[in-house]
Amino acid sequence: MAHSDSPSLVRRLGAGTVETAATIGAMLALLGRILARATPKRFDRRELVRHLEFMAIESLPIVIVTALFTGAIVVIQATPVVQRFGAEGLLGWGAGFGVLREIGPLLTALMISGRVGANNTADLGTMVVTEQVDGLRALAIDPLEYLVVPRFFGLVTTLTLMTVFSDLLALFGAAIAGQALIGLSMHGFYNGIAGGLIQFKDVAHGLIKSVAFGLIVALSSCHFGLATSGGAPGVGRSVKASVVTSAAGIFALDYFLSFVVP
Amino acid sequence: MSERETLIRFDRITKAFGDRTILDGVSFDVRRGEVFFVIGASGVGKSVTIKHLVGLLRPDSGDVWFDGQEVSRLSEEAFFPVRKRVAMVFQYATLFDSMTCLENIALPLEKHRGLTRDDALLEARRLLDRVHLGKFGERFPAELGDGMKKRVAIARALTVNPEVILFDEPTTSLDPVSARRVDTLIRELSDTLGVTAIVVSHDLTSIFGIADRIVMLYRGKVRTIGDRDHFRHTEDGVVRQFVGGLADGPMEFG
Repeated sequence: MAHSDSPSLVRRLGAGTVETAATIGAMLALLGRILARATPKRFDRRELVRHLEFMAIESLPIVIVTALFTGAIVVIQATPVVQRFGAEGLLGWGAGFGVLREIGPLLTALMISGRVGANNTADLGTMVVTEQVDGLRALAIDPLEYLVVPRFFGLVTTLTLMTVFSDLLALFGAAIAGQALIGLSMHGFYNGIAGGLIQFKDVAHGLIKSVAFGLIVALSSCHFGLATSGGAPGVGRSVKASVVTSAAGIFALDYFLSFVVP
Repeated sequence: MSERETLIRFDRITKAFGDRTILDGVSFDVRRGEVFFVIGASGVGKSVTIKHLVGLLRPDSGDVWFDGQEVSRLSEEAFFPVRKRVAMVFQYATLFDSMTCLENIALPLEKHRGLTRDDALLEARRLLDRVHLGKFGERFPAELGDGMKKRVAIARALTVNPEVILFDEPTTSLDPVSARRVDTLIRELSDTLGVTAIVVSHDLTSIFGIADRIVMLYRGKVRTIGDRDHFRHTEDGVVRQFVGGLADGPMEFG
């Protein structure tokens, strides 16, 4: 049994590896083509603003809810430990450290990937299968310049801005939870954050990650959108591939950046 | 008619998708200013053929000539000047869903003629009037019928002042009145603006109503080419079956 299974397993692994390498290669090639078009002369600012409005402003409600709960959950989990050691003053530091360096950028990226990245893939994929992209090409309008570049930079900007916003809200949520659970005053919580244990590099660490997450979500959502084929079912497949690739990319990047970035 | 110069030449084009050969050495010429129809059964490669002229498809072998220039091996960027001279109206109109009709037409005006937004919208309104849809500028494509969408797409194609317009099944799925309006518009563009029209169609009323010349594709090759009289009086059983719309005859499908 093991004998008869092993070749197909090896073949599947091989095919999977080749496919992954091809996807990464195609995404890097797309990145090169996007950057080549990101010159002031070719950049469509009006499209960027239009996408930012949709991507950022309409994402606010879901980011607010996620961030407030995230901050509160961190405090709920940390409360028994700080109480056991009588270290209530460290609650602000603990929550701030976890939120700013890790949880804030990570959860915001996953939320934006699910909401904005998936939508972006579906939008581009639909335009491909309904020949709207070919329609642009036939009008001598470069689809990358007009459709993809503004979306790409819109998504990276959205994710970075939303991370800053979500960091602040998560800390606010944590402070409220601290007050409710162990009666820690807002002032005490703030002292824990601003008392010197949390430094600018912790904020920068999270923001660098958020830019990297933005790049992977933007690249993956544009790549799979443009690579759509096979009508409406093809759009569904592209969205799934985009969300899975974005999530895998976010976690992999998070792991490596946690080592590399101070 | 015959003294008109050749503007477009498809020369021994072959094209396969996977194992399936669609075009197998297709050659024909289109003359400047004529209304030229490409006809044949569904799936015979009519749309595939004309997409080669604007670089949406590239031939496996053979050449495509436009105004003395071989274009089939141009890069995507080098194709843009050709596409400003050869516009295409797609079978499903391919208007941009997220824009109103006026915005659809204004987009290429802003991009290519450097017009401001307001000027582009003004010019778009003029073009929309030209296709008799001036009242529908603020509507989104989803709110229009198929015939109207196609006319908006024609107005959008006119933004680049094309010398040639490719129409991919412009009357398919239209009611007879809308279909004849589109026919009239195509004939008008050729007669008044000197636009060369290449029309992919299997609408017999259109074919015998407005075509100057017609090519019929069959099983990946050119079956015959000529004017309307040639098609009316041909002895070829396959052509007779097609233009007669007969269920029985020598035509093979698939």
